[in-house]
This record gives sequence, C-alpha cells and structure tokens, in this order.
Amino acid sequence: MSQFTQALWKFVRLNWPRIALGCSSVVLFVTAWWLYSAWLHAEWPFSGRTSGAAEYVPYPRQVLEALIDSFAGRDPVSHLYMTSHIYASLKRISVGFALAFVLAVPAGLLMGRSRNAGAFGKPIVELFRPIPPLAWVPIFLIALKFFWGPIAIVFLGIFFPILLNTIFGAKSVDPVLVDAARTLGARRRDLFLKVVLPFTTPYIMTGIKLGLGVGWMCIVAAEMLGAVGGGVGYYIYSMAYTVGLYDRMYAGMIVIGILSVLTTGIAGLVEQRLYKWMGMK
Amino acid sequence: MDGNEVTTCINIQGLSKVFTRDRLAIRALEGFDLEVLDGEFVCLLGPSGCGKTTVLRIIAGLELKSGGVVQVHGREICDAGSDRGMVFQEFALFPWRTVKSNIEFGLEIKSLAPERRGEISKRLIELVGLQGFESAHPNELSGGMKQRVGIARALANDPEVLLMDEPFGSLDAQTRNMMQKELLRIWSATGKTILFVTHSVDEAVFLADRIVVMTARPGRVREVIGVDVPRPRERTSREFIAVRGKVLSELDEEFEKARAKELARK
Repeated sequence: MSQFTQALWKFVRLNWPRIALGCSSVVLFVTAWWLYSAWLHAEWPFSGRTSGAAEYVPYPRQVLEALIDSFAGRDPVSHLYMTSHIYASLKRISVGFALAFVLAVPAGLLMGRSRNAGAFGKPIVELFRPIPPLAWVPIFLIALKFFWGPIAIVFLGIFFPILLNTIFGAKSVDPVLVDAARTLGARRRDLFLKVVLPFTTPYIMTGIKLGLGVGWMCIVAAEMLGAVGGGVGYYIYSMAYTVGLYDRMYAGMIVIGILSVLTTGIAGLVEQRLYKWMGMK
Repeated sequence: MDGNEVTTCINIQGLSKVFTRDRLAIRALEGFDLEVLDGEFVCLLGPSGCGKTTVLRIIAGLELKSGGVVQVHGREICDAGSDRGMVFQEFALFPWRTVKSNIEFGLEIKSLAPERRGEISKRLIELVGLQGFESAHPNELSGGMKQRVGIARALANDPEVLLMDEPFGSLDAQTRNMMQKELLRIWSATGKTILFVTHSVDEAVFLADRIVVMTARPGRVREVIGVDVPRPRERTSREFIAVRGKVLSELDEEFEKARAKELARK
C-alpha cells in the first residue's frame, strides 16, 4: 500500500501543473453552473430579477446532496439503492460488451484480411452502422422484452467501434511481416494467430475503449422504457419523467459519466499491461 | 558418382515476370538464367528497378513467376516454404516477440518441443553474437542487431538457401561494413548457400564468389563476374579495385541504358 501511495505521490509531483489545469476546468464549470442556477433562481448575486425555469437547473450543492441520497437511500420510483442501479447497468454493459467483442473481433479480422469477406460484409456494415441504437429501442424492447432488449441496444453501440477498428487494424498489417512469416513456413492459420492477431491487438483495444464509451451513451436509451432490476439509465429517465426530481436526474447523469471513465480506465490499464507483455512500450 | 561433386542449389532458366499496373503490362524479367551451386555466395547486382528483388521473391515463393523454370535442389518452386530462408531490408522482425522468440518463430510453426527450440535458438544467438539480448524486444535493438536477429531467425529453419534482399541497405556505413564481415563469418560457419541482392558494387565485391550483373528492365543476366580475390578481402587492395572497376563499368552502361529508356518514354 505504501508503495502505491509513493507511486501516487511521485505521479502528483511530476504532473502537478497538468493536474491543476484539469481541476481548474472542473472548478470553472461548477462555478458557471452555480451562477446560471442562481440567475434562474433569482438569488444572490442576482437577487433583483424575477425567477425563471429554476427547477430544471438545481444548484450544484443540491445535485451533490441528491447524489449522496441516492446511495444512502432507496429512490422513490423503483425503490432501489443507486448501487443496485449501477450493478444492473454494469451487467448490461458487460454482457453487451462480451457479445460485441466475441462477434466483432473475428468478423473484423476476417473482413480486414479477406477481400471477399470484406466485399460481402461492407454493404451491411455501412448500412447499419449509421442507424442510431436509439432507433432500435421500441422494437427491441417489444420483441426482446426488458432483459435482452436493453442488452441488445448496448451491444449495438459497442459492436461497431470494435468492428471498424479491428477491420482497420487487420488491413494495416505490415505486408513485410506476412512475407517474413511465410518464408518461415507459416500457413494461413499461423498467419492469422501469430501475425495478424497480435498486430491488430492495439487497434482492437482502441475499439474497445471507444465502444465502452458509446455503450454508456446508449444506456439511457436502452433502459428508457424500463429494465429488469433498474439501471442508471432507467433511474435518470424515471426521476425526470415520473417524479420530476431533476437534482436526482443530474446525479444519475454524473454517475454515468464516472462509470464510463472508470470502465474506459480499466480498459486502458489492460491495454498497458498487454503492451508491456507484448514488449511494445 | 564423384563424392566431391558440387551440386546445383538454385537452377533458374528462362524466368520471366510480367506485372500489370494500371492496365499496362510491365515486363520485369525476361529470359533470366542463373545457376547457384551449393555453398556458394552469389550477389545479384543491377540498376534499380531491374527486378533483382523480384528474382529473390520468386525463389522465396512470395511472388509467382510468369514463365520459365525455378528449382531449388531440383524441386519446382510453387509456394513460400521454410526450406528457403529470407532476410529483409526492413528487418521484418515481429515487434511483439523477444529476440529469442523471433528466432524460434519458424520452429514454433514446425511444432518443435520448447527444449529443442531453446537449444537451436541458443546456438544461433551465440552464432550471431547476441548473447545477453535474448529477452530484448526489437525496439530496444540497433539496426545492426536487428539484422543479426533477422539472419538468425532465417537460419533457425536450417534452410537450403539464404535469400538476402539488401539486408544492410538501411544501416549506416560503419555498421554495414561490420555486418558484411559478420555475414562472411556466419557463412563460413554454416556453409549455407547465399543469394544476396544489393545495389552496392563495393558490397558485392567484398562478399561474393560470383557477381551477377543484371540488365535494365526487362531484367536479364548481363554478365557473371567471378571474384577471385582471396578472403579476407581488403577494399584498398589492387585486385579488389580491379574487380570493382570492371563491375562498375558494366553497371554504368546499364544505368545509362535505363536512363535513356526513361527519357524516351517522356
């Protein structure tokens, strides 16, 4: 543990100007937010004016309190703790990610390496890729119900970034490495497993990081109309539409932001480990 | 049969290669003949674009010929295989593999037992002088060291011929000279047949038993020059300079022809 704090201290000592810059942008944002809500509430320093649509923009302090409340107690709609919502959403992201990964990586390698597979798959990919996952919400929730429906929507969001990056990576494989492997006796299978796959790994990792971000972007849409066991997206939607507790709604949005940062961060750590293990920095 | 009879390693007759680029047929090679004996060191030399690399790639099985006969020990070449090792100008090392595991790549594909692979790679690491760098990755090595790995990796499969495509082309002059000496040492230690592509006259005269000077495109053999200078060769010796002069004048003529053709096209 002391080793960890030492490493952390070293990081802070070396990077403090950038850390300070990062923090200052957050401080600036919260200040602007506070001023705007004060203006709408017609409170200090804007006590003179008549108040506007104040309820839609609560004070930062109110949102922070709502955030703490959501962890401390059950919410008024689905009667769940925030931890349960987080668990439900994480499960959806995980299952959606696992499905997307298992399907997108082999498909991407194939489409990137084989011209025929590329020509075969490209029209479908290009046709379906620009359709926002939101467009699938009604039919997925009707046809797949509230367990698989939300997962399918998240899956769509994660699938395409991984697929496209894998295709790009597989296409970028240095041809001289393929030549070298062939003169060393590599057959098609060896080429795939020992040259194309390791070469494409960094591209796949980029796809994963992008995909996870898009997955979280889809979570509200996925859980909008309801989901088995709640979910942060469902929490946000129900707080706004069912009970009009906008401070809680904003708290839910912050939770999604933090979750996305955390999952992408974990992917980044895995990536670093992988590169270290592969000897690429 | 005479026990000391030298056998033919590479036999090429009437080799031709036509590329199609932008619907234009480009004749890269036409009527190219070459015979390389077992254990021989032959350099292919020619003006750029004469197809010397293409010859090498066809022997390696990385490219298909358009016509003619290409045999290694009497077997017709149809695909790339571990019986012909190749060393690339770009080194072509796998960046995610260590020195040891780069060298063992071919052995891994042959599904050799790890202990056996270890023995072979250990011997080769010693041969090319990379002791202590077994677990280094290519990005930690200098150009010369990278090419040592490239040579060891190609030798690991114990190929019948070593094909080298301007292997020292991207090295600085000093390293290049050192690697040439190293290669001669490795060559005499292993007795491998080497076919070496270069555009450096100096390099060819320093290394080769015979120098094959190619014509400008379409590439044929213009002349085969035997280098009867005893090794170790001294670049400043009178014999060396004499051979060098002969090769240079042959090459210059081809270079001029290539230039004239280029100008005529414009």
